[in-house]
Amino acid sequence: MINLGDNTKTLICIGTGGVGKTTIAASMGVGFAYQGQKVLVLTIDPSKRLAQALGVKPDGDPHQVRLSENTSGGELWSCVVNHQKTFEFFIREAAHTGSGKSISPENLNKLLQNKLYQQLSGRLSGSQDFTSLITLNRYVTSGEFDLVILDTPPSQHTWNFLRAPEKIAGLFNEGIARWFRDADSKDANIFKKMINLGTSQVLKALESLTGSQFIKELSTFFQAIQKWQKPLEDYIMNCHRLLISPHTEFILVTALDPSRLGEAQKLSREIKMQGYRLTTVIINRVPLWLTIKTASPSARVANLISYYESLENDLQGRLALFKTQLKVYKCYELRQNTEDVSSLQKNFDELVPLN
Amino acid sequence: MVKKAHFVTGKGGVGKSLISAVLARYLSQNSPLDTNRKQEKEKILLAELNEQSFFKDFLGLKRISYKPLPWLEGIDISQWSPQECLREYALYLLKLESLYKLFFENPVSKSLIQVAPGLEELALLGKITSSPRSHGPPMNYDQLVIDSFATGHFISLFRAPAAMAEAVQFGPMGEQSRGIDRWLRDKDFTHLHIVTIAEELPVTETIELYKTLKKEFGLIATVYLNKLTRLTSADLKNLNPELTESLEYIIDNEKEAKKNLKDAQIEYIELPLVNSLEPSELIDHLAQEMKKAEAAID
Repeated sequence: MINLGDNTKTLICIGTGGVGKTTIAASMGVGFAYQGQKVLVLTIDPSKRLAQALGVKPDGDPHQVRLSENTSGGELWSCVVNHQKTFEFFIREAAHTGSGKSISPENLNKLLQNKLYQQLSGRLSGSQDFTSLITLNRYVTSGEFDLVILDTPPSQHTWNFLRAPEKIAGLFNEGIARWFRDADSKDANIFKKMINLGTSQVLKALESLTGSQFIKELSTFFQAIQKWQKPLEDYIMNCHRLLISPHTEFILVTALDPSRLGEAQKLSREIKMQGYRLTTVIINRVPLWLTIKTASPSARVANLISYYESLENDLQGRLALFKTQLKVYKCYELRQNTEDVSSLQKNFDELVPLN
Repeated sequence: MVKKAHFVTGKGGVGKSLISAVLARYLSQNSPLDTNRKQEKEKILLAELNEQSFFKDFLGLKRISYKPLPWLEGIDISQWSPQECLREYALYLLKLESLYKLFFENPVSKSLIQVAPGLEELALLGKITSSPRSHGPPMNYDQLVIDSFATGHFISLFRAPAAMAEAVQFGPMGEQSRGIDRWLRDKDFTHLHIVTIAEELPVTETIELYKTLKKEFGLIATVYLNKLTRLTSADLKNLNPELTESLEYIIDNEKEAKKNLKDAQIEYIELPLVNSLEPSELIDHLAQEMKKAEAAID
């Protein structure tokens, strides 16, 4: 088992794809629920096995997971992030708070029908970074849970997730909105605007690259989103605050593999430098049989054992680089083909501290 | 002139990047002699789309850049970002350095490029298909091996040109998008490679991706079943019970993976787990295995 800070309300599991982040997130959920906390686990794309173990439905709503007794009052809830629904939630939420109240239904429709918006929302929800962050923010601020655990989307690099607020904020950038403002009105078409701004050559270049229809679509798009700018920026700012909050901890999940461990080392340095609270590293899926000595194995088995021994040696060599200020744990690979609450609990209980 | 583009994809953690390097090595070692030209072998470019370079650390390169740098004999290596692809293309179109600078160093167009949907995908695919479309700066390679995005992101990459062509039907943008889409669907030009390991989740993803690509683009991907231990029950004799249980689990997973791929009528190439942490050794060993497997199929 692992220990979190006393005031930790949010736990974010990060790491490259294929290291078993989702299983670790679920194990944490089960572990802390048995310690008496009301926990929500947000996952992106659980395997069939895990979905069955947690009894999750893909409807985007939290569902309570059945635990055996002796939870000391703890509860486990799980929720699969529904990207399409979340994006709509975000747009509607923004239209109902603060300065967003001035947004008319016509304006909403204009935005929703724009071809570029449709592609954009598809792409943003497809990238998943932004929608999982919105979902996280939604449930943390609801105050319904003692602890919310997020399993971050599979992305090549964790920066994609951390930069999601920045990236979407760029979209509502005042500079672009100004560019296209009132471009449809009779005497101030987009071309005149450009000339007024002294950037006509830029537009010509853009037009030669893309064609005028693309620019027309863009113009409609930016006009439509203009009114969202302030409320969306506020919302995005809250998401960003959550990431750097002292009540948020990051857990880096990695695997027993030289290039993964190298990536993890780099990432842990960078992420700490940027001010995020990375506290823990978990080396996942370490084969248990590494520790079992065996006499006269076949050539193939001996080969496999020697391969994993060299991985283990490589890990020992790198460990010192991780140790400063970080708690490092080893997690043994689940041996059976089933994932259920009790095996997840065992997984949590059997985490081995390496420092 | 690029005649073939090989895209390598698969679930995260299955060894996409390693297999991309292996494929580049294999193609370079086994490319037919080109008698029309003086060179003996085809020239290969290995390009990674990772934001943070994998190959630089893994292959111990001094540096990696957009501009290709030599790696092994006959193989150059580079790292592509959408921004740099677009920049190169714009410079090619606009010709004038000053105009290009004005365009790219303008903060408004900078953020516009970043947020305009689909533009990044088009920039990457535009570069990849520039040779057959005869559009863009010339590329002096015979084949490209692209260490591409993981499954979900890969599908959105491939869908982008058609989506853009639909949203913007007229003008150069629509025209280019249609051209790119056409070449992505060309069986002689586009070659897809899906890497998986013998575990439930990656295999399921592979089967779904294989079917989607076949249905939407009419392309048949080559599937690689990577990191096989090839253990059999005979290997489990005289082992203690705990070790036996663990290794049985591996054997079952490998059997299950092969069965599921066969049931889905997907042919696959088996690649073994190589007992080495040395990248060059790994790559050469697997390139040999790839050759053996191809020979067995032929």
